[in-house]
Amino acid sequence: MHLELRKIESVSILELSGRFDAYEVGPVVEWINQNMEAFTTRLVINLSGVKFVDSTALATLVQGMKRCRQQQGDLHLCCLQQPVRIIFELTRLDRAIDIFATEREAVETFGD
Amino acid sequence: MLNLKIALITTYPPGNGSLNEYGYHFVRFLRQKTGVAEITLLTDDLPEGQSYPTEETPGLVPLQIIPCWKFESWHNPWRILKVIRHLKPDVVLFNIQFASFGSKKIPASLGLLVPMLAKVSGYPTIVLLHNIMETIDLKNAGFNSNPLMEKLTRLFGTIFTRLLLTTDWVALTIPKYVEIVEKKYHTHNVLLAPHGSFEDSPALSLEAELAQPLQIMAFGKFGTYKKVEQLIEAFRLLQSENRPPLELVIAGTNSPNAPGYLEGLQQKCSEEKNIRFTGYVPEEAVARIFGEAAVVVFPYTSTTGSSGVLHQAGEYGKAVVLPRIGDLAEIISEEGYTGEFFEPGDPSALAEAIAKVLDNPERRREIGTQNYIAARGLPIAEVVDWYLLHFQALLELRDQSANGAALPQPSGQPSGQPSGSGITILDFGLGILDCMVAIALNLKSKIKKSKIG
Repeated sequence: MHLELRKIESVSILELSGRFDAYEVGPVVEWINQNMEAFTTRLVINLSGVKFVDSTALATLVQGMKRCRQQQGDLHLCCLQQPVRIIFELTRLDRAIDIFATEREAVETFGD
Repeated sequence: MLNLKIALITTYPPGNGSLNEYGYHFVRFLRQKTGVAEITLLTDDLPEGQSYPTEETPGLVPLQIIPCWKFESWHNPWRILKVIRHLKPDVVLFNIQFASFGSKKIPASLGLLVPMLAKVSGYPTIVLLHNIMETIDLKNAGFNSNPLMEKLTRLFGTIFTRLLLTTDWVALTIPKYVEIVEKKYHTHNVLLAPHGSFEDSPALSLEAELAQPLQIMAFGKFGTYKKVEQLIEAFRLLQSENRPPLELVIAGTNSPNAPGYLEGLQQKCSEEKNIRFTGYVPEEAVARIFGEAAVVVFPYTSTTGSSGVLHQAGEYGKAVVLPRIGDLAEIISEEGYTGEFFEPGDPSALAEAIAKVLDNPERRREIGTQNYIAARGLPIAEVVDWYLLHFQALLELRDQSANGAALPQPSGQPSGQPSGSGITILDFGLGILDCMVAIALNLKSKIKKSKIG
């Protein structure tokens, strides 16, 4: 699992690549624990480089979203590959987390 | 911030109906969630002399338990609905499977009507359905041996699945179930909510802790599709080979559908001192039972859903021996579990599979570790969060509907619409006649929609 962080104004963009599952979820959890709240509550996670997610990865994203929202922020996802999108649709979590086709949309939706 | 009043229809310890363990752990974590104001369990009646726990724990969401239904009773719909109407919860959740309310067709069917009746009464309703009729091997599961009756049962299964699908969401525990239901019933109000592991941070049992004799353990409610005769035969075969002392532990009770099953077997095995029947395993003894086992065996002839026991075995880092049938193999591959497999119906094949694990500590550790990682992957605490998100979405839809806003309909969703589709007429005074009218209206509207669609 590879993580890359960028920032566009007040929005942090975390770009992930590789498998995102129970075996690889550690670095993302660690990043969320270290950075969220203190560092950012407006987060876009770009999943364009992720071909596979499992339920553990989904749980991590839900936890991240909850923490952002508790701090009056939010977590947006973008650029989901088809197999990843299917998992979100299967669990209907696509109705709970805001998902965007492009990173630009995901960032712009935060507004000012 | 949510401030939910949740009514949960479930079995719950010390009741020993199926899914009581799941109900217990689900509630344990639900009580820890912010955004939940009050939980009421609508449980089955306990036998004389038993009672549900009543103590309140500071810091946890208040829990009220109302026994209001009984396995095999014809009165369950009216009793449960009466309580729901009295409570006026924000959401209603059912933790059920097809035989939750009875092993006989009429009480089982009447019980399965309750989710739909709750929905047509105006309560946002989610059904966590642990099995689906399409994957149950009725003959091996002990429900039907007559082919005609089996066909009839399946027909009723299809009808009752359709009725369950009139609720807001039907949550299923494995992806294959979601696919089957979506495809067969042309519906989109099913969702995947994985089983989840019961412990939040279980400790991995170490091989060094295993004492002699090595224990082979089966855990569950036995007598229908979980049968231990062949396991006992396999155990005898294993003992006849040159091996350190072994013990067979049969942990659990009779299935509600098979009263007297274990007692009969226990009598037959009374001379064999290294076969132990534990009877009911209280919650506080579960960790010890799993911790002491060298291998956990699933002596199933069929499965009717995903296995809570498999998740528990994983939580305690145990190697497992499983039949090469339906759902269990599916869970193994989809949730990252592994084990030794055997062909059901052949005690020597079962003995061989157990021996592979028992005689090879390295293999035992390898399987146990992989299962531990799989079980740790998604704790039930996370799954509970997912349900809360779904509740929140349902309530938002209901509020939008109440405010007269256009409903954001999920694509192709036939029944996910919140109350407001003309069916909230039963908010007050839910009599039997009202129920029947509401059901008819609801079905009529579904038929109309499916014709349009």
